[in-house]
Amino acid sequence: MSLQVQGLHAGYGRLEVLHGVDLEVGTGELVAVIGANGAGKTTLLRALSGLLKVRDGTVLVNGTDVTGKGPEKLAASGLAHVPENRLVFPTLTVADNLLLGAYTRRRRPSAERDADRERALALFPRLADRLGQAAGTLSGGEQQMLAVARGLMARPTVLMLDEPSVGLAPRLVGEIFTALGVLRDDGLTLVLIEQNARAALAIADRGYVMDRGRVVFTGVPSELLGDARVQATYLGGDFSPAGGAGDGEPRPAGGSVAMEGG
Amino acid sequence: MTDLLQLLFAGLSQGAIYALIAIGFVAIFAVSGVINLAQGEFAALAGLVAISARASGLPLPVAVVVAVATVAVVAVVMERLTIAPVKAMTTLVSLILTLGVSTALKALMLLVYGPNAEGLEAITPGIVTVAGVSIRYQDLWILLVAAVVSAAVYWFYDRTVTGKALRACAEQPVAARLVGISLGRASLISFLIAGIVGALAGVLSSPVYFTSWESGLALGLKGFVAATLGGLVSIRGAVLGGFVLGVLETLTAGYVSTGLRDAVAFLLLIVVLVVRPGGIFGRHAEARV
Ligand SMILES: Nc1ncnc2c1ncn2[C@@H]1O[C@H](COP(=O)(O)OP(=O)(O)OP(=O)(O)O)[C@@H](O)[C@H]1O
Ligand SMILES: [Mg+2]
Repeated sequence: MSLQVQGLHAGYGRLEVLHGVDLEVGTGELVAVIGANGAGKTTLLRALSGLLKVRDGTVLVNGTDVTGKGPEKLAASGLAHVPENRLVFPTLTVADNLLLGAYTRRRRPSAERDADRERALALFPRLADRLGQAAGTLSGGEQQMLAVARGLMARPTVLMLDEPSVGLAPRLVGEIFTALGVLRDDGLTLVLIEQNARAALAIADRGYVMDRGRVVFTGVPSELLGDARVQATYLGGDFSPAGGAGDGEPRPAGGSVAMEGG
Repeated sequence: MTDLLQLLFAGLSQGAIYALIAIGFVAIFAVSGVINLAQGEFAALAGLVAISARASGLPLPVAVVVAVATVAVVAVVMERLTIAPVKAMTTLVSLILTLGVSTALKALMLLVYGPNAEGLEAITPGIVTVAGVSIRYQDLWILLVAAVVSAAVYWFYDRTVTGKALRACAEQPVAARLVGISLGRASLISFLIAGIVGALAGVLSSPVYFTSWESGLALGLKGFVAATLGGLVSIRGAVLGGFVLGVLETLTAGYVSTGLRDAVAFLLLIVVLVVRPGGIFGRHAEARV
């Protein structure tokens, strides 16, 4: 088990946002976390990566208790968090963004980090052509790719992504989700937070549905897609205009991504 | 013409000192939003420590090293005691805290070194006359050291992993933390840099301008104005700002009135803040540090 979260409470000031979240992610699994705006998905990731204080509950990474550690420690112990809105370092070059992604491994042999960089660039070939370009001048999609690649440079045990599809054209979303599928097939453990529930469930092994700071539903994608309540509440907006009730499509073989139009 | 050259040269030498102090302001502000009002005191303290070390018989280079090391330690201790413990630092809070440190350092210097102004001995004493312009050798040293130090600082931020990590903290602190960079350590390093450049400004300027417990006030203010001219987050801007200020000051003193000398900095500051808040060279997209 790569990541085990039990009874996690966290919030901002006097406002408690997470009221006891349980989450388990097996090694090599891709788990999607979906839920409406304000459900607490981003808050969950912030608490897991140490940006936000854990008020109660435990977080285990590879069986080691890391509850309450700061982000600098957690980055070193294998949790990589690709944040909402990408947050690339804008005046630094693409190459330097990747270099800093490996900051916790800066004392490792540079050959090792170079190999990681080659792997990340193979996943996102567009970045390879732009290594010397300031990250702030990349397109939104390229910045998202860079944010994911930067996360990979830490050689994480678990890669956690916060809405990588936001604001991107469907073609780019497809590229990024395909890359996530490839990473999962290579054995990486992933936690994917998404508004775009359908696209996320299409590549996920399992899904969690969050609502107002709690996990309200969990299961394999076909169960989630087939559940009437989940459909009504979280998948409605993503449905084809025909309405297609009971459209519990199983995950496409080979991990490729079926994208919905608008 | 000779007059003009003479004034320009004096202005560049003066500007080099401002540039070093301005680098200190930028190093700290860009990373943590802290405006360090004790930056001038770093310079004054270094000058006084070097003078007293020299007076106790240490060779000049050793006295300089002792002074720079002392101030570096003071800067680091200051950061740990007054900046690091504050959970929610804002620029306003930083002004209050660093004003306190500045006042304390001044009192300490007065207590230890007394009220008199003294000058450190010049690295190379004497004057050379070139094309009718008389130049102190010390001014050449000031320009040389300022150029080397500015280039070294620029290289540090542009090329080293630690320098890039500091820029990352300045640009995206949340993402910097997520890749494992400690903001606390970044703040500490920025104070170390500010201490070193401030101390160098202090020991370099002492032979020409003399040092007392209160020299830090003018140096700090001028350095701050220079940093602001450069946009407050750019090393290149800070260095250019220092030279622009130094030259304008000496030209004003030479052609208008010596009494207006100190007013230049503030007139310039007001004009820049009104007309170009991003600094005279500033584009807002310009690299931080
Ligand atoms: N910095 C903050 N300070 C105070 N409250 C916050 C803060 N960030 C989020 N919240 C509140 O916490 C709740 C959960 O927000 P969160 O960002 O975790 O939701 P989310 O599931 O990621 O939503 P979205 O899908 O819109 O990104 C919301 O009610 C939000 O208003
Ligand atoms: Mg969110």
